[in-house]
Amino acid sequence: MINHTIRRILLSLVLALALPVLAQAQELIAAKSFGKAANEIVVTFAGTVERAKVEDPANYRIYEEKDPDIQLALESVVLAEDEKTATLTFKEPLNPRLPHVVSINRLAESGAAATFTVMKPYLGYLFSILIGALLINNFVFTKYLGLCVFFGTSKRKDTAKGMGLTFTMVIVVSAIMSWFFYQFILKPYGLNFLQIVVFIGLVSLTVQAVDTVLRKVNPVLFNAFGVYLVLVIANCVIIAVPLILADNEYNFWESFMLALGAGGGFLLALYLMSSVRERMELANIPPTFKGVPIAFIVAGQFALAFLGFSGLSLF
Amino acid sequence: MATDKTNLQLVVNGILNENPIFRLVLSMCPAVGISTTVMNGFMLGIAVFFVQVCSSCTIALFKNVIHPRIRIPTYTLTIATWVTVIDMILAAYLPEAYARMGIFIKLIVAFAIITMRLEMFASKESVTASFWDGIGMGLGFMFGMMALGFVRELLGMGTILGYDVLGFKPLLFFVLPLAGFFCVGLMMAFFNYIEIVYKRARRA
Amino acid sequence: MKNILTIIFRLTVACLLAGLVMGIAFIATNKAKKHNMHVHEHKVMLSLLGYSAKNPAPESVAMHPVYRYLVGEGEELATGYLLPLRDGAFSFVTIDLAGAFVAQTPVALAVEKAREAEDRSQAISAAIGVEKTLRYADQTILVTNGGKRTAYLLPGKFPGFKTFIAAMLALDQNFTILGVEIMEHEEDPGLGGEIVQNYFKKQFKGKPLETVKKLEVVKTPLPEEYRQALEADKSGLKAEEVARIEEQYKDGDIYALTGATISSRSVTNGVKAMVKKFAYRLAILDRVLVEQHIATPF
Repeated sequence: MINHTIRRILLSLVLALALPVLAQAQELIAAKSFGKAANEIVVTFAGTVERAKVEDPANYRIYEEKDPDIQLALESVVLAEDEKTATLTFKEPLNPRLPHVVSINRLAESGAAATFTVMKPYLGYLFSILIGALLINNFVFTKYLGLCVFFGTSKRKDTAKGMGLTFTMVIVVSAIMSWFFYQFILKPYGLNFLQIVVFIGLVSLTVQAVDTVLRKVNPVLFNAFGVYLVLVIANCVIIAVPLILADNEYNFWESFMLALGAGGGFLLALYLMSSVRERMELANIPPTFKGVPIAFIVAGQFALAFLGFSGLSLF
Repeated sequence: MATDKTNLQLVVNGILNENPIFRLVLSMCPAVGISTTVMNGFMLGIAVFFVQVCSSCTIALFKNVIHPRIRIPTYTLTIATWVTVIDMILAAYLPEAYARMGIFIKLIVAFAIITMRLEMFASKESVTASFWDGIGMGLGFMFGMMALGFVRELLGMGTILGYDVLGFKPLLFFVLPLAGFFCVGLMMAFFNYIEIVYKRARRA
Repeated sequence: MKNILTIIFRLTVACLLAGLVMGIAFIATNKAKKHNMHVHEHKVMLSLLGYSAKNPAPESVAMHPVYRYLVGEGEELATGYLLPLRDGAFSFVTIDLAGAFVAQTPVALAVEKAREAEDRSQAISAAIGVEKTLRYADQTILVTNGGKRTAYLLPGKFPGFKTFIAAMLALDQNFTILGVEIMEHEEDPGLGGEIVQNYFKKQFKGKPLETVKKLEVVKTPLPEEYRQALEADKSGLKAEEVARIEEQYKDGDIYALTGATISSRSVTNGVKAMVKKFAYRLAILDRVLVEQHIATPF
C-alpha cells in the first residue's frame, strides 16, 4: 500500500519536472548545448540552413545572461556537412555554469532574429542540489548540524530509520511552507528580521499538523513514528534549511530538492551511524570511552570519509 | 516548589555538574562546528549566555500566565525573539565576529539546552533562581566552548587568542571543522577518566 | 471552548509582545548596522589604496561611486549608469547593448540618499519613467586625486567552494591590480579559509591587465622567498627587497593554497572575470562621456 503511494508520488514528480523541459522546444532550433571544448557552443537547427548566413560571425550576438552589455567575441562558426549542426568557437573559454544568450540575425526567412538561451540541463542542476545536500554538503557530517538528535537517536537501526523518515517528511513540508512565506510575505514587505520566528513557527505548525493528521489517518504509523515528531523540532537542520534557501533565493523546485537532500542526508547519516553503534555494543571499548565519547570519534571518522565527496561535480 | 540551592551553587552547577556540552551532551552543533578558536567559542558563548539568561527570566516572570497547553510554543517564541535580538545586535556592532559565526547564531533557536532549562527549571522557580541558573548554564556553555577552542587553536594553529605561542603549527588537522568530533570525544573521555580516577581514589 | 479562546488570546498577546521586542531591536540596530558596514567598507577601500592611520589619505583624494543598472523596455535591454556630476547633481546615462549612447536624464537625488539602494532606484525610476524595468547590477568607485583619476575600486561577489565569496578589488588607472580584499566568505577554516591570508591575496598585487586576462592557478608550492615578500609584515623583509621579489613574480600565475585548490581557483577566476568585464565596460562608458561632453568629476 505505502509502496504504491510512494511510486505514484514519484511518477507525478518526474512528470512535473519534465514538463517545463518539453515545453521549451523551439521551431528553429532543435538542440543547443555547450560543446566538448571549454570555448564551444553547439547548435542544431530544425531544418537545413544557409551556409553563408550561419557561418558569418557578424550575424551573432552572444552574451552571458546577467551581463548583456558584454558581447563574447566569436572566433569562427563551422556548419557541419549535414547543414544542420553548427559549432560556435569563441576566442576565450566560456563559463558553462552560467546561462548564455545567443541571438542569430536574419536566420529565419522573415529576417527576424532567433534568440535562445544555452545552459546546462535544468534537471541536472536540480539533481546536483539534491546530491549536494545529500552527500557533498551532508548536514550532519560536513555542516555539523542536528548533532544532538543525531547522537540521541542513532543507537538502534529501527530508531534511526523512524527518525530519519519522520524528519524527511517534516522538513520537506516545512521547507516548502517557509519558501512560500519568505517569497510572498517576508520579502515583499521587508520583514526579513522576522525570519527566525516565522520559520520556527512554521516548523512547530508542521509538526503539530503531522501529529494530528497521522493520529487520525494512520494510527499504526503514528505509533511507530509519533515519538520522533517532538524531537524533530530540536534539530537545527530543520531551521537551517529555510534559512539557507532564503539566503540563496532558491525557487520552488530548488527548495524542494534542498529539503529532500537535507532530509535524505540525515537519514543516511543516522543509518550509517546506527549500523556502527549496534556493532560497537559488542566491542571491547575502554571504560572512559564508553557511550558518547566513542560515538563522537566514530562520527569524526565518518566526517573524514565524507570529506572525500567534496569537490564532486556530476553535472 | 523552590530550589534549596544557593545562587552560587546554581552557577557552579551549570559550569561543572551539569555542563551543557560535556555532561548533558546538548547543543553539540556549535561545539563541533565553530569552536576552532578561543575567540569564536567566547563569542558564541556570549550569545547563548544572553539568550539563556533573558529567556529564563522571561519565562520565570510570566510562568503563571502561560497556559500549560501552549507551553512549548511559548518557549520557542520567547527563545526565537531573544535570538533575533542578539542576532541583530551582533550584526550591527560586531560584523566581523558575526560573519565568522555564520548561521550558528540563528540556530541557537533550535538548541535543546535552552528549551530544556526553561522546561525543567525556569517554569517552576522564582525569577532570581532562574536568573542565576541561566547564568550558570550560559557560563557552562561558554566555558565548554572556550576549552574546546583552546585545545583546537593551540594544536591546530599554535596560537592562543591569535597570539603566537608555539611558533609552529603542530597539527593543522585540529583546526579543520571535522576535528571537532574527535576533540569533543577525546575531551569527554578525558573528563570521564578524571572521574573514574577520582572515584577510585576516594574508595581506596 | 472557553479554554481554546483563552489559549488563542494568550498566544496572540505573546506574539504581539515578541513582535514588539523584535521591532524595537530592529529599529534600534538597523541604523548602526548600516553605518558600521559603511565605515568598515571605507576603511578597507582606503587600505587597498595604500592609506592607513599612519599615512592618511590627503584631502585631494575623492571617491565617486558609479552605479550600473540594467534597463529593460519591452524586449530591449540597455545598460544604465548613475553618474555623479561636477556640480553635485546626478545623471542617468543609458547605453544600448552595442555600446551606443541612448539618453541622458538628470536624476533628482541627494548625495547622502544615493547610498540607499531603495531611494536610489526610486529616484531613477521617477526620472526615466516607471514603465521601464530597472535592475541593479553593480557598483564601481572611481578614485580621483586632485581631479585626476588614480584608481578604481570594484566590490563584487562570485561563487566560492562552499557559498559565495564577496571581495573588493582595487585597480590603478591602467587596470593593474593594486590589491584584493576578501570581505565575506564561508570557506572551511584552515583550508579554503586561508584565502584571507596575505600570502594568498597579496599574490594578485601588481599584476597588469594582460597577465590577469590569462591568469591561471598552479599547484606547485609557493616559493619561500615569495612567501616572505608577501608576508613582509611578519618576516620583516626590507621594502626594496620585497619590491624586487614582487617584480620578479608579477607576471606569474597564482600559487594554489595547499588543500584548497578549488577555493583558490574560484577566487582567481572571480577576480579575472571582474577585471576583464570592468575594463570592457569602462572603455565604452569613457567613450560616451567624451562624445556627449558629460561633466563628471573624474
